[in-house]
Amino acid sequence: MTTLSQASSVSMRAEQTRLERRYAHLGLLLIAPTVLIFSAVIVYPLISAIYMSLFSIFTPTLEGKWVGVDNYVQLLSASEFWWSLLNNLIWTVGTLTLQIVFGIGMALVLHQNIWFRSLARSLILFPYFISTVVAVLVWKWLFNDLYGILNHLMMSAGLIDMPIDYLGDMPNAMISVILVGAWKYFPFVVIAVLARLQSIPDQLYEAAKIDGAGAVARFFDVTLPQLREVLVVIVMLRAIWDFKEFDLIFLLTGGGPIISTQTLPLMVYKEAFALNQLGMASAYAVVMMAIMLFFMIVYIRKTREKSA
Amino acid sequence: MENLNLSIRQGEFVSLLGPSGCGKTTTLRMLAGLEFPTSGEILIGGRVVNDLPPGERDIAMVFQSYALYPHMTVERNIAYPLKKRGASKSEIVEKVSRVAEMLQLTPLLARKPRELSGGQQQRVALGRALVRDPKVFLLDEPLSNLDAKLRGYMRAELIELHAKLGRTMVYVTHDQLEAMTMSDRIAIMYGGVLQQFAPPQEVYREPANRFVAGFIGTPSMNLVDGTLRQDGGRWIFQADGLEIFADMLDDSAVSGPACLGLRPEEITLGSGPLAGVVQLVEQTGHENIVVVRIGQSLRLTGRASGNQVWRMGETIPLSVNAEAAHYFADGPTGRRLNAPRRATSFRNLQSVL
Repeated sequence: MTTLSQASSVSMRAEQTRLERRYAHLGLLLIAPTVLIFSAVIVYPLISAIYMSLFSIFTPTLEGKWVGVDNYVQLLSASEFWWSLLNNLIWTVGTLTLQIVFGIGMALVLHQNIWFRSLARSLILFPYFISTVVAVLVWKWLFNDLYGILNHLMMSAGLIDMPIDYLGDMPNAMISVILVGAWKYFPFVVIAVLARLQSIPDQLYEAAKIDGAGAVARFFDVTLPQLREVLVVIVMLRAIWDFKEFDLIFLLTGGGPIISTQTLPLMVYKEAFALNQLGMASAYAVVMMAIMLFFMIVYIRKTREKSA
Repeated sequence: MENLNLSIRQGEFVSLLGPSGCGKTTTLRMLAGLEFPTSGEILIGGRVVNDLPPGERDIAMVFQSYALYPHMTVERNIAYPLKKRGASKSEIVEKVSRVAEMLQLTPLLARKPRELSGGQQQRVALGRALVRDPKVFLLDEPLSNLDAKLRGYMRAELIELHAKLGRTMVYVTHDQLEAMTMSDRIAIMYGGVLQQFAPPQEVYREPANRFVAGFIGTPSMNLVDGTLRQDGGRWIFQADGLEIFADMLDDSAVSGPACLGLRPEEITLGSGPLAGVVQLVEQTGHENIVVVRIGQSLRLTGRASGNQVWRMGETIPLSVNAEAAHYFADGPTGRRLNAPRRATSFRNLQSVL
């Protein structure tokens, strides 16, 4: 009897192992397409960029020779790199701050029971939806120093005597780029914050009212702490997207005047297609990735510490 | 809310009781300043508070969902109302530790609400209300999220707390057991109208109308629709298969449709001149709730000892205590027709099939 039950238990275990193995194979089969696509579009370009950054490559012919870390040494000793990095940081911090401030402000307004709320919620997405090229064209008309409506209105109002060159002078150019960036991307913050605001229980506000908190105290003691988690995600995503923003800045100022608004993505483009140095462009791209990675790790650690 | 007139004495524990949508929470929220009456006045301690914001009404409120600030520790949650009123640091520390001690929250002060059980969260919500020592405590179904055992425990704690503090408490609930066991007086509401405001025993024994009679008591009072008529100077209530002398009614009663109310404990099962067919037996352990059919369609619910077992379909004898009968005018909130029992002298009690 014992022998029989032992035998049946051994056969059950064997059957179980066979099933587990079959499930494991099925799992591999199911995950394979994702892994293949991920490898083709993420891993291969990443490794390829790192590999290319170790060569001096002439873009039109793609011919190159091994230079090791020379591209990196050259890059780090170039003042243009540091200027571009500084511009990149000013642009990212500036536009992100405005996006967050206006995004939260607008979300709070749209969260109120105002009569045109539905229409306003749809309209607010408009800048985010329109193509960057169209947005830049519109803003270039608005900013134009000869026939732009902005200068016209300001001169009519007597605020200025001479038209302002919004995109050709510093610091105007950087401020303009930051403002247009904030205008274009703040709807993302509005939508994400608004979604979170709608899920904050009303009773928290009511409890705060009874506890004697005014409107400002309720914002800082109830609303803002409740938004913390969504803001962590928004800041992280928008910081990554803003840091590598190319088209808006390129179309608006082309990095000028001179290199005053040139950021690292523009530098990568310049090296690859204006100076025909694909190896150096790859080195810039790799350094950009390393900088973003560093800031993101620091940021995630800090927010984790705070929420703990 | 319609013409609500409610006067609560200082130090009293008053429950607002009624089914969903009866206006009890709206009433409480108006007291708190979270809703505004279209007309009328709200006075707290003799002061009209209609135009005062919630924070200036000298009230504290415990919400059904507790409404604890999730990002703050227990200590900061309890301290928050004091902080918002500009209390000094030493005062905050002293009061928070006193309240925490009273509610046995001291070991939990550093925790966040999500790390607490339902009962603990409930105590923190109470602590946040207690720490300010307000004139009035408003409690909005604070026990409804707890399991039955914990609810019983917290009920006892609240009674004890009220006795200790002696503060006015207004308690919203749809659970009649909570209202009956905790309150000095119960305000029973239905459809935005106050139906009765009286001590628990009074609402049970002398319900002001048919709604209160049916709402208070588990199992609820048997309400039998029928007609009242006068015969030879005596009032007689007649329904399908039942005729009963209503001697406690005086001349103010009128002939016509009416409703007879009988508590299940006023029906004696197993003996008596009536006969009924057992329709349903609900066993609760110490007693059985038995539904019997009399005549064609009249169903009455009675109580029997847990040891007494009847099978469904069995015909059993029974009697009703006509002296303890209530009579109500026709309609869902038909007024009580018989005068309060203590002022009534009962004559013959008879019941016939």
